Amino acid sequence: MNLYLLAPEISLCALALVVILLDLFIGRKWILGAVSIAGLIVPAAFTIALWGTNETSFNGMLVVDQFSLFFNLFFLVSTALVLLSSTEYASKFAAFRGEYYALVLLAAMGMMLMASTRELISIYIALELTGISLYALTGFLKDPKSSEAGLKYLLLGAVASAVLLYGMALVFGLTGTTHLEGIKAAISAEGLLASPALLMGIVLLVAGFGFKIATVPFQMWVPDVYEGAPTPITAYLSVASKAAGFAVILRVFYEALGPVSLDWSIIFAVLAAITMTLGNVVAIWQTNIKRMLGYSSIAQAGYLMIGLATVSALEPGAIGSSGPSALVFFLACYALTNLGAFIAIIAISNKIDSDEISDYSGMARRAPLLSLALALCLISLIGIPPTAGFMAKIYIFSAAVDYGLIWLVIVAVINTVISAYYYLRVIRVMFLGAPLSEERVPSSGALRAALSFACLGVLVLGIYPWVLLRIAEAAVRMFP
Amino acid sequence: MEMGIAIAFWVLAAVIIGAALAVVLGRNIFRAALFLVLCFFTIAGIFVILSADFLAGVQVLIYVGAIGVLIIFAIMLTRETQRGSPSGRLRLPALIAGLLFLATMVFVIVSTDWQIVAEIPTEPTTSGIAQALFSKEEGFVLPFEIAAALLLAAIIGAIVLVREK
Amino acid sequence: MAIALEHFLILSAILFSIGLYGVLAKRNAVAILMSIELMLNAVNIALVAFWRYVAPTLLTGQVFVIFIMVVAAAEVAVGLAIIIAIYRSRETVDAEQIDLMKW
Repeated sequence: MNLYLLAPEISLCALALVVILLDLFIGRKWILGAVSIAGLIVPAAFTIALWGTNETSFNGMLVVDQFSLFFNLFFLVSTALVLLSSTEYASKFAAFRGEYYALVLLAAMGMMLMASTRELISIYIALELTGISLYALTGFLKDPKSSEAGLKYLLLGAVASAVLLYGMALVFGLTGTTHLEGIKAAISAEGLLASPALLMGIVLLVAGFGFKIATVPFQMWVPDVYEGAPTPITAYLSVASKAAGFAVILRVFYEALGPVSLDWSIIFAVLAAITMTLGNVVAIWQTNIKRMLGYSSIAQAGYLMIGLATVSALEPGAIGSSGPSALVFFLACYALTNLGAFIAIIAISNKIDSDEISDYSGMARRAPLLSLALALCLISLIGIPPTAGFMAKIYIFSAAVDYGLIWLVIVAVINTVISAYYYLRVIRVMFLGAPLSEERVPSSGALRAALSFACLGVLVLGIYPWVLLRIAEAAVRMFP
Repeated sequence: MEMGIAIAFWVLAAVIIGAALAVVLGRNIFRAALFLVLCFFTIAGIFVILSADFLAGVQVLIYVGAIGVLIIFAIMLTRETQRGSPSGRLRLPALIAGLLFLATMVFVIVSTDWQIVAEIPTEPTTSGIAQALFSKEEGFVLPFEIAAALLLAAIIGAIVLVREK
Repeated sequence: MAIALEHFLILSAILFSIGLYGVLAKRNAVAILMSIELMLNAVNIALVAFWRYVAPTLLTGQVFVIFIMVVAAAEVAVGLAIIIAIYRSRETVDAEQIDLMKW
């Protein structure tokens, strides 16, 4: 049992405990935020020190490979950005700042574990660690809207967990093991490929994990929860929690259910088409920017799922790397873009105290840099060069073309055109509308630092994506 | 012996289904909570039939003792009994969804060729579970440790949410 | 007729379906929470039955059930905390008016 492999997660948990303890003794609460952000360097350093290892520990339950290390860094960077954007926002719940940071860190620990466990019980517990922390964070404001969002998120999350568990139980009943490797071996050896229970198990697993990535039919929690949750947590949900869901899906479906890939790739293809269309069409009617970005994130999950559908249709069981690596690359681009958009919204909404798109009218004159940054992120969400979103879409669409999913690409391109309408509307309101007041909208240093990082990332990935592409390809090479 | 187990199963199954129906169909939420506790108790009986003695005990302790009491507390604290628990407008779709799911599951269960082994589990299971949880060779130590972090997150979350501002 | 694996699985499927109905049909948050507990108990019955008939030598199935119980208790605690927070902020449990299907 090699505890060193668990060092990033352990240090993150220790950091959460340190923050809670500091909270008891320190009067100046801004220190807590600084400690949480600075402390993330420790797990990041452990992750980088582990870079290149490919080992398992805890009797094969924990695996440290390029995939899990990539996602460790992914979650740490997005957690750092979320914490940076929370520092100002956290004044809204003055008494509970320490608990807020600790819960964000514990959620990050759960997400990192989701990407690095290969055993159903551990996956479930890691998923629930993330879930319970996020339920509490969603209801953190304790006003009616936030509490309702928290309750809704918790109830639907618990239903999704129950469905997921039923699927896991069926898989366990068929194979007699919860280890992903053992499941794969049992499925291929005992000729269970055509078993109805296995198919049912797959459907239930897709539904249960689908809640995390907000796919149809488990998407209805998104708008209300995104609207009611504290805005930094909305950003966290839309990026990190979604990425964790994709990581765990890649892990479970490719490692355990690879032999029956034909069964589930078609499910994901159909769900991808429905999800992106629903997200984009409903987003058009939204007047609240957080709700609009909620539906936009549903649509983006649809594009991401194209990566899950691109399993070789020619040869059963043979899995190419271009679909998954495109998915991982898309996730990174989407994360920077969406975090950037949300940080800009946090900065603006904090001052004007409204999330209505109409109140953003003429914002370009009141906060030129913030508006420019938000516009850049929205352009990247559409997928117009020279932004990260463009490269991500090119890469994932070409993977789908390679695998013969032409119809799905056509649907996705039509969707991209639809989506341009509502993203550009926000930009038009900001740059062409008449300002509602002459008052400037200032922002804090932490927010500006986080926003500059995100926007720089969006531009760099849009112009020079090759380094990240190599890393993404290395990350998914682990899958057999 | 065989006969006795069969009778016990049918009786327990009937009580479980009846109690579960009472939970979701009744209008009085306090009564529903009591039926839920009854349901938990009889499920412990099913665990005994399946020779999972330790789990039966844990079922009574956690579900009846902790979860049941928590739910009853919440009902009393929020005085929800007065308002009752009517069904929403989605009653018919819900019924169809439930029946459809049941039909699919029954088909799946009956048509699948389960790999049943003849071995009888050793009793009592308590030391076996301890072995399965903590042994260095095959133990579930990792989920056990994550569960510690999960309970910490739940405690922090619950305290923050319930405390006054 | 001897009791076999299928009997327990069908019992579990019935219990799960009843829970599913409750989740979809009920509007009261506590009632939905109770229905979810029914679903989780259905999963537990299935897991213990699989342990007994499919893999009795390893105790994986039972260990799984123990972890589900731990998570269920934690989830109920947080859920009820949120319900009480809603009650506090409104002086009434309007949890019923939370329309879970709104979109």
